[in-house]
Amino acid sequence: MANRFFMTRTLPGALSFWVLTAATPLAEDWPNFRGPDYDGISDETGWRKNWAEKPPAVVWKAEVGIGFSAFVVADGRALTLGHIQDQEVLSCFDETTGERLWRHRFPSELGAKFYIGGPGSTPTVDVANGLVYQLGKWGEVYCLSLEDGSVKWFRNVAQEEKLSVPSWGFNGSPLLSGELVVLNLGPAGMALNRQTGETVWSSRGDAAGYSTPVPYEDIVIVSSGDGWSGVETLTGATRWTIDWATRYGVNAADPIVWDGKVFVSSGYQKGSGLFSLNRGELPRTWAQRLFRSQQNAPVRLGAYLYGIDGDSSSRAKLKCLEWETGEVQWTEDTGYGAVAAADNHLIYLRADGRLGLAEASPKAFEPIAETKVLTRDCWTVPVLANGRIFCRNSRGQAVAVDVRTLP
Amino acid sequence: MNANRREFFKTAGLTGAALLPFPWVQAQAERKHRVALIGCGWWGANIVREAMASNRCRIVGLCDVYRRPLTATADEVETLSGEQAELFEDYEAMLRKARPDIVIVATPDHWHALPSIAALKSGAHLFVEKPTSHTIGESQAMLQAAEAEDRVVQVGLHRRIGPHHRSGMEFIKAGRVGDIGTVRLFVVGRNRGGERPAANADVPNGMNWDLWCGPAPKRPFNPKITPGGWRNFLDYANGTLGDWGVHWLDQVLWWTEEKYPRSVYSTGGRFVSGAAVNTEQAATTDAPDTQTAVYRFDSFTAIWEHRNYSGNGSEKHRIGAYFYGSKGVFHMGWRDGWTFYPSDNQESIVHEKPQFSDTVDGNNLKQLWADFLDAIEQKRTPAANLEVAHRSTMLPLLGMISWRTGRSLTWDGERERIVGDPEAEKLMRREYRKPWRYPGV
Ligand SMILES: NC(=O)c1ccc[n+]([C@@H]2O[C@H](COP(=O)([O-])OP(=O)(O)OC[C@H]3O[C@@H](n4cnc5c(N)ncnc54)[C@H](O)[C@@H]3O)[C@@H](O)[C@H]2O)c1
Repeated sequence: MANRFFMTRTLPGALSFWVLTAATPLAEDWPNFRGPDYDGISDETGWRKNWAEKPPAVVWKAEVGIGFSAFVVADGRALTLGHIQDQEVLSCFDETTGERLWRHRFPSELGAKFYIGGPGSTPTVDVANGLVYQLGKWGEVYCLSLEDGSVKWFRNVAQEEKLSVPSWGFNGSPLLSGELVVLNLGPAGMALNRQTGETVWSSRGDAAGYSTPVPYEDIVIVSSGDGWSGVETLTGATRWTIDWATRYGVNAADPIVWDGKVFVSSGYQKGSGLFSLNRGELPRTWAQRLFRSQQNAPVRLGAYLYGIDGDSSSRAKLKCLEWETGEVQWTEDTGYGAVAAADNHLIYLRADGRLGLAEASPKAFEPIAETKVLTRDCWTVPVLANGRIFCRNSRGQAVAVDVRTLP
Repeated sequence: MNANRREFFKTAGLTGAALLPFPWVQAQAERKHRVALIGCGWWGANIVREAMASNRCRIVGLCDVYRRPLTATADEVETLSGEQAELFEDYEAMLRKARPDIVIVATPDHWHALPSIAALKSGAHLFVEKPTSHTIGESQAMLQAAEAEDRVVQVGLHRRIGPHHRSGMEFIKAGRVGDIGTVRLFVVGRNRGGERPAANADVPNGMNWDLWCGPAPKRPFNPKITPGGWRNFLDYANGTLGDWGVHWLDQVLWWTEEKYPRSVYSTGGRFVSGAAVNTEQAATTDAPDTQTAVYRFDSFTAIWEHRNYSGNGSEKHRIGAYFYGSKGVFHMGWRDGWTFYPSDNQESIVHEKPQFSDTVDGNNLKQLWADFLDAIEQKRTPAANLEVAHRSTMLPLLGMISWRTGRSLTWDGERERIVGDPEAEKLMRREYRKPWRYPGV
């Protein structure tokens, strides 16, 4: 929280925005994966929830290319990645009209290994400085102008630093922190100078996991295929580790820190665990195999977690878990998908393209309504920002869904 | 649950035996089969899960040449069964130390024969994955070992026991399809054309790549090869015909009274993927993306056909076996169950849905495993025993030899020899990389 205030809200641009919107329902930009608080929860209020009476409408559509990159929304723009004809493409749209403002592309491999392929990371916007950071599927790092997509600096970090490439490429999104852009490259992360791209610290050996670096206090949490590390943001020095070996080296769902503990979860039958923050190898509070996040982390609301259990290929389910015990509170047969939250509601996108809204309650699944916005396969988390929900499928069809309350 | 129970025993200061009201319950518990797994990948983990779920087995050893799947499997075994299996990189050491009475072999095909034979010779019963081997001579040696040691062998051809396969077979054998003259087996994939080479890479930490390659050629490590991708590298497997073909060709041998074809011809290539690449820097797969194999039996013709691209196209089904009879077309499928299309359009289509014990991966390993244990306990032949699976494995392997030589092969199924073609016959075996030795005589 403090982090976020420091990073965006005290900046001049953001301040005026803050003042302007203070009296009205709160609208909110979403400049990075999992949002300003890195938790998948939007602070936005006053958006329309009476979907049962009036289903929300798609206001614009776009083709963004194959992949699993989520949307980010900042400064009137919506951005995401995709793979189009041998290129990785960052598309920047006008947030309200869907007009394409610019594209940044470079040659890339689709990487369709047992799945459709394409990039899985999400770009990160630095609104104050008008920049976008992009981690390409095979370890290319770009700093671009938010205005027109021109390249400020570029490094093929994976090649230059001879990093092991995970089987499905690099899928974590860049984290901006102070002078640094922190990336999930190497077994315990890497940091570059955000102005020049020079390496500040790095880790070597095994391949990275697929999660996005998650900050708390003076630490970021990064993954490898075999576990998690809490490393000091400024130096990369390891403060703690969690042994979390997974069958295919897939630690993809971002960890969640709360109340002196860290929650991690992985798919392929692995399960979840809660660990107490400490130094060294973290002590485990509980571990279970009934909640397995293959790609998308759950959201934590109060003392409960809400998210999808199971792999994309399985009969995945929406579940509610108690933080303290890991016990499943309820299960809903939704199939695979991803869950976001705002205003104590769950906004979920099922793999088959149904966008759903439910009240968040640990007692039972409390659905409000669902509306079909896309076709298969939707594995990417929907993003609520400024009264619109941005969704995409793996083939690259994207939609903006209007949930503004019109005066 | 298990942890709790152990905890309870500890605090109560009693042993498990003392707590059980009936001594025979304890005796039964003690009689659990001691199971060890070689190859803790995707399928090995599936099998071991069924072994645990059966409640008739204890997992005593796990072996893999890569630490990551080994520890992931060990972790799963411990949380699901409370057992701490011993972990090994070398299966020989495991057979000596863990003393299993059942061994599961779920390694890539080039590593089926040696561990299977070693397991049989150690006195264990064997559950080995399909196809039984990578070359014909290996499977013959496995069969000899199983007979010499008089052990029960189940092969992972779960389609021999799947409910819709059984009911479908009954339907055909009851004559509902009429006289059958042609069987066509096929798999159609959805690859997107031209395959790009992937860069060779450092061997991942914790992987013994030399041992992974074992008796097969040692290629530079490439992430395309493992896990799973070895299916399309001919040094380690036999492409789609070896991987999928054996399942469907096995359905043909299950149906017919004939034991083997008289001749085999196969043609195909990498027409869409492009030429195979294998340099110091990079590699593609090298198995054909297009292949047809024709098997001439006395009373019918069987045709295999795969295409790893084009998707559903014009066909009603994407995978399975068509039995063409005088009364219509019977399709034996996978996730689409079976369907009979009568030749008379006035008659209605007959359909049966599939049933899987594992709906995620669409298999009936649970029944196959139970049948295996029953066969051991009742000293009988299991559903997918080595003899039938060996014969079914011959079909794809012969298809591959014909494809390599570009000639039709005459097969003496009684003596298991290719007639009048020494060059082709040589391909029934392969050179092993030292120090490994090709099994059998
Ligand atoms: N019956 C079915 O429907 C079915 C389905 C899938 C796979 N299979 C069969 O299962 C087998 C394994 O396939 P998979 O998909 O699990 O492959 P995989 O690549 O996921 O797993 C194979 C494992 O074997 C290990 N290994 C290699 N050499 C070894 C050795 N010498 N000792 C111990 N471990 C070794 C590898 O490290 C890997 O972990 C194959 O024979 C395949 O045909 C059968």
